[in-house]
Amino acid sequence: MANTWPSERRLIGTKIQRLDGPEKATGRAKYSFDINRPGMLHAIIVRCPYAHAKLKSLDTSAAEKLPGVKAFHQIAKNGTELFYAGEEVIGVAADTEEHAMDAARAIKIDYEILEHLVMEEDGLASKGKNTVGGRGNLIPGEEDTKGNLDEAIKHAEAVVEGSYGVPVISHQCLESHGLVAEWDPDGNLTVWCSTQATYYTAQGLAQYFKIPVTRVKCITHYMGGGFGSKFGPDVQGIVGAELAKKAKAPVKLMLDRASEIAAAGNRPSAYGTVKIAGANDGKIIAYQVDSYGTPGAGTSRTVGPLPYIYEPEHTKVKHTVVRLNRGNQRAMRAPGHPQSSVLTDCAVDDLAAKLGLDPLQVRLRNLPPNDPEAVKQAPTSIRALRHTIYTKEIDIATKLANWQKVWHPPGKGPGAGPVKHGIGMAIHTWGGAGQGPNDTTTTISSDGSVLLQCSTQDLGTGERTVMAIVTAEVLGLEPKDITVRIGESQFGRSGGSGGSTTCPGTAPAALNAGVAARDALLAKIADRLDAKASDLTIEPGQIVDKTNNKKWPWKQACAKLGMDSVKGVGNWTPGLSNNGVGGVQIAEVMVDTETGVVRCTKVVAVQDCGMIINKLTCESQVAGGVIMGVNYALFEENIFDRHTGRQVNPDMEFYKLGGIVDMPKIIVHMHDMPERGVIGIGEPPTISTCAAISNAVHNAIGVRVPFAPFTPQNVLAALAKKGNA
Amino acid sequence: MKDPHRPNKNGSGLSRRDFLKGSGAAAAATALATAPLPALAALEAADDAKVAGMGPAPVKIQLTVNGKKMTQAVEPRVTLLDTLRNHLDVTGCKRVCDRGTCGACTVLLDGKPIYSCTMLAVEANGHDIKTAEALVVDDKLDEVPAAFVRFDAQQCGFCTPGFVVAMRAAFDKNPKATPAEIEEALGGNICRCGTYQQMRDAIASLCKSEGK
Repeated sequence: MANTWPSERRLIGTKIQRLDGPEKATGRAKYSFDINRPGMLHAIIVRCPYAHAKLKSLDTSAAEKLPGVKAFHQIAKNGTELFYAGEEVIGVAADTEEHAMDAARAIKIDYEILEHLVMEEDGLASKGKNTVGGRGNLIPGEEDTKGNLDEAIKHAEAVVEGSYGVPVISHQCLESHGLVAEWDPDGNLTVWCSTQATYYTAQGLAQYFKIPVTRVKCITHYMGGGFGSKFGPDVQGIVGAELAKKAKAPVKLMLDRASEIAAAGNRPSAYGTVKIAGANDGKIIAYQVDSYGTPGAGTSRTVGPLPYIYEPEHTKVKHTVVRLNRGNQRAMRAPGHPQSSVLTDCAVDDLAAKLGLDPLQVRLRNLPPNDPEAVKQAPTSIRALRHTIYTKEIDIATKLANWQKVWHPPGKGPGAGPVKHGIGMAIHTWGGAGQGPNDTTTTISSDGSVLLQCSTQDLGTGERTVMAIVTAEVLGLEPKDITVRIGESQFGRSGGSGGSTTCPGTAPAALNAGVAARDALLAKIADRLDAKASDLTIEPGQIVDKTNNKKWPWKQACAKLGMDSVKGVGNWTPGLSNNGVGGVQIAEVMVDTETGVVRCTKVVAVQDCGMIINKLTCESQVAGGVIMGVNYALFEENIFDRHTGRQVNPDMEFYKLGGIVDMPKIIVHMHDMPERGVIGIGEPPTISTCAAISNAVHNAIGVRVPFAPFTPQNVLAALAKKGNA
Repeated sequence: MKDPHRPNKNGSGLSRRDFLKGSGAAAAATALATAPLPALAALEAADDAKVAGMGPAPVKIQLTVNGKKMTQAVEPRVTLLDTLRNHLDVTGCKRVCDRGTCGACTVLLDGKPIYSCTMLAVEANGHDIKTAEALVVDDKLDEVPAAFVRFDAQQCGFCTPGFVVAMRAAFDKNPKATPAEIEEALGGNICRCGTYQQMRDAIASLCKSEGK
């Protein structure tokens, strides 16, 4: 019979400190960047300095003669076209980082410089050009229509047209991409890699070097941030392992900050012109968007579903991909969704303003209904519950934000001074399904110790602690009693930590492995306790015979294993996890209309994710998502120079991220729905923050600041336009 | 004693050698009374031999790191951060921006917080360095990292040792600091996962606590 979550939960859903907290907080935790191996070399990658060039020739002869230089690995072949400044050319390893840098400088590389385009507007105007290879700079989207938009707009009681957009931003993982690679004399490869997928990384390296995956071990005990950008070995992973092979020595190759920003991914931009039409009662009738964005030299779409969440009867959606000579986009925390949220939920507020309605009422009027089919077929699915969830969450959020009292019509806030108050709201959705495989083994030893092994990884989400909580719940122990060994590819298959799938993928596996281990234990020791296995049950800290209430403390019972130990093997199985969440955020801001400075003062975040495993780390994820959204709204932007084709802020001083004093007070409310099973939480809470802040700024000053980040420059420009209008 | 690369006198009227002697004395006074530091003696010998400044060959330096005396030869261009991480295997201080912005490399130099990525190792010669690893003794955590654990003021944890060191320094400087003053003191540190709200909970608790 399939396992189910215990109906009464002692640990699951409570607040439990992360097990590896002390190691991290005192700098003892060893990240990939921190691994130093005996005889280890340091490697760096030389990158193309031009936004578009052909590699003509490459000469390492001078570099080879420098002290300490051990190996080279050419990445781009002579004659190759390179499509952005920062694309990889050659790797070099030396005994010290300084010697590696000397060698890198001494490599003579000839480029033929080619025409580049790095600005979205230049790309849009580039008809017929191709500076990026393949299909050229512009991939015009197909127009996707529903209903009869033009007719609906003609007869609508209110129509608003507006522009909205978000720039390209960087993941800015604090631990950059990279690894330490070491071959043993037998041809086995060990890598300590900063990755969101230990198993796929080992697989990728095994495929590249044409060796069995069992001969590659990827270790990621601690990971310093990925946010969607760290899957598989990646270029630097292959280069590091190649250099280690050539030099016959361990090699550390971690990207420097500028390389990290240039080549290791970004969240793509999205800009759009939106036409939205509604009735006097606030019903949204039609939505049209013509949008574009750049994935760099890649080809992917840069937006998610449009319109986002709301389902007006008439829609027309078109998205153009503008390919530029910039580093390729990668998945970043809910890819596409923050962009779609801004292109939709900001237009909803502008429509509400035009209709003279409270945007809260317009949202409530337009929430998608619970799908009656889904209610019958899958009553815990998001389609069956979405209206119920959003209504409840909006109710909670508006109460926490005191919306009824605090909200005022746009530009009509209290006070006559130059600093204006505003409040705004936005909603979001995400999948976060559980999935397999996540091979998990739980071993109980005769001294009562419990070991859990799975190759999954903890990116800082608290995954290690999640596995311990579930196991401890099943075995009647405390989380700290469980030794959790994760982050090693050789423990079996596991999924990459993307799409908010890790907790819902591994918590069921831990439950199944824990139950199997428990049953194996009871079967093994029943005779030795003079009991029947089916009569034995687990209570906190002890094993109990239900028939006579005889009790054995956990350790005493496990001692009956004697020379044995027992193992339980588990994996993800359907029925314990679910897919699809809602979420509501309300932001408050103060906007100084003289300086253009926006301060976000408060954010209320109400979030569901099915059954919460650890409320402490779950709330941390939500607050962290909000903070990432505040940075997106107010500070971040990859700024490029049109002429050189290079990013002018590939760093952390001119690429702005807020510090503690820049952050609002954040109120997190978890809407726990244990009956739905486990759903991922990593991505959803960062989606709607930017749109909520945009709406709050609009509410403060009565004018839309169309494009994030809402810097003084952009705010003053919007105010000036209003003044001139 | 001529230094061929610099004028004999600088604005303060001190020669480079006098200055080095002075800073060495200051270091000795703030740390423990020690004999003249070997590396300084070597520098003086170098001056005497009319060698043109330090490097590019490695220079021997001595640091007291988390209470342990460590000696290492490093090229003069190597930062204190890279010396700690690459040569001495002290990795609690992290390299992130590598240009004095993010604070992940924060260490205490004679008790004061500094960015170790913007100080050359040779400048730190003879000084006392403490990293986050010093804030735990036999598994007993200092109150500051303990509060980070209790309130979950860390996620990936890569920025955390820098924050912990900066906050420890702020409380050392003013044990009665208000939460606003502590936040101000953390202005030179950046977290990407977004742990500031939980950090505020930790700060509030520490500001109330007596034994920090």
